Amino acid sequence: MIPSSPFLCVITDDSFCPVTIAELALKGGAAIIQLRHKSASGNQLFSWAVDIRNQCQKYRALFIVNDRVDIALASEADGVHLGQEDMPAHIARKLLGKQSIIGVSASSLEEALQAEKDGADYIGFGHIYPTFSKEKGFSPVGTETLQKVAGSISLPIIAIGGVSLENAASLISCGASGVAVISAVSRTDDPAMAASELVYALNRKKS
Amino acid sequence: MEHNKIQGTSLPHLYLISSGQENPDNGTLLLEQLNLLPRTPCCMVQIREKQLNAKQLLTLALKARGCPLPEGSRLLLNERVDIALAARLDGVHLPESGCYPDKFRPFAPNMIFGCSIHSPESLTIAEESGADYLLFGPVFDTPSKRKYGTPLGLEKLGQICRSTTLPVFALGGITPENGARCMTEGAYGIAGLSIFQDTSRFVDTLEQFYRIVSP
Repeated sequence: MIPSSPFLCVITDDSFCPVTIAELALKGGAAIIQLRHKSASGNQLFSWAVDIRNQCQKYRALFIVNDRVDIALASEADGVHLGQEDMPAHIARKLLGKQSIIGVSASSLEEALQAEKDGADYIGFGHIYPTFSKEKGFSPVGTETLQKVAGSISLPIIAIGGVSLENAASLISCGASGVAVISAVSRTDDPAMAASELVYALNRKKS
Repeated sequence: MEHNKIQGTSLPHLYLISSGQENPDNGTLLLEQLNLLPRTPCCMVQIREKQLNAKQLLTLALKARGCPLPEGSRLLLNERVDIALAARLDGVHLPESGCYPDKFRPFAPNMIFGCSIHSPESLTIAEESGADYLLFGPVFDTPSKRKYGTPLGLEKLGQICRSTTLPVFALGGITPENGARCMTEGAYGIAGLSIFQDTSRFVDTLEQFYRIVSP
């Protein structure tokens, strides 16, 4: 169910219409879209979720909802992404069933191992580099930690935080199956082009 | 009545809403109130602690579920159907801007779904999407709702109650003094938030209200 490596996951940005971002990201070759919007009303979130799910089906991409397991179920999303402050993965699994994909954010080996134990399907690991997309209470984890985690767990890892055209390929060399971005796609003049360049960069052999 | 088939018996007529946003305390007041409940008549309790993240909310919901409540009471959570299911609560209350009950019913068939309504338009949406009960307000002036403008008043409450067969709980500035007038207008029950915050008078207040709503 998780796309074959290397792949691009695009997370929607609170400052832009998630449906527009998703559509452009899919055009550019994103394999996963994660709907993440912390301040939207339930009704708004559901309506976006249905639109993005339909687009993802068209592009054969995965659609993941951040935090809201209920919105994921209601919109028939492919899965959810859970942060450390969200519902634990093993509880979400009971609600979602075996078929759904559950991703968990981790920023240390301990958190990654716990997520694996809790039945996660992938780990969102980061932030690898400094990032301005989200307020972070801790410093970047760096590529060494990414490598260590990739060597210690068997789940696919999606590297997140400060991913760029320059460093995308090296994250895959460190053991990540894919990368996730927010602003590197949404805050560009041409989000579809930005996504497609990232997909290209991911597939570049390490020089 | 059709709506009373949910959970086998009819819904209580009193409705208590926890008030985390006005008084951020991670649910301490709610748990204090719940622990006082066994000495009072049954009621609907809505956990509404929007300042908490999903993990904290789940912990609070599980603690609340562990409190022995008077028989016939229903424990609900604001908005989050997933957390309500995980904590085995009785239902979910959806704000007017929330997603509609019919979107959740397929995977939460046994839950009670209530909807907040502030107008005849939102009444229609709530009815069509299969709400089990309605929360209408603010009927009277109340500090927690002042930022949303003037109260809707008894007349509008009456109009709503007469145009639906669903149970309508009146909310907003309801006191033991004016509560009876809401019932006269056709309300099924009365709901409160601020008035239940003084735990020293909590049981008395609930009992006063119970006398008003008892058929």
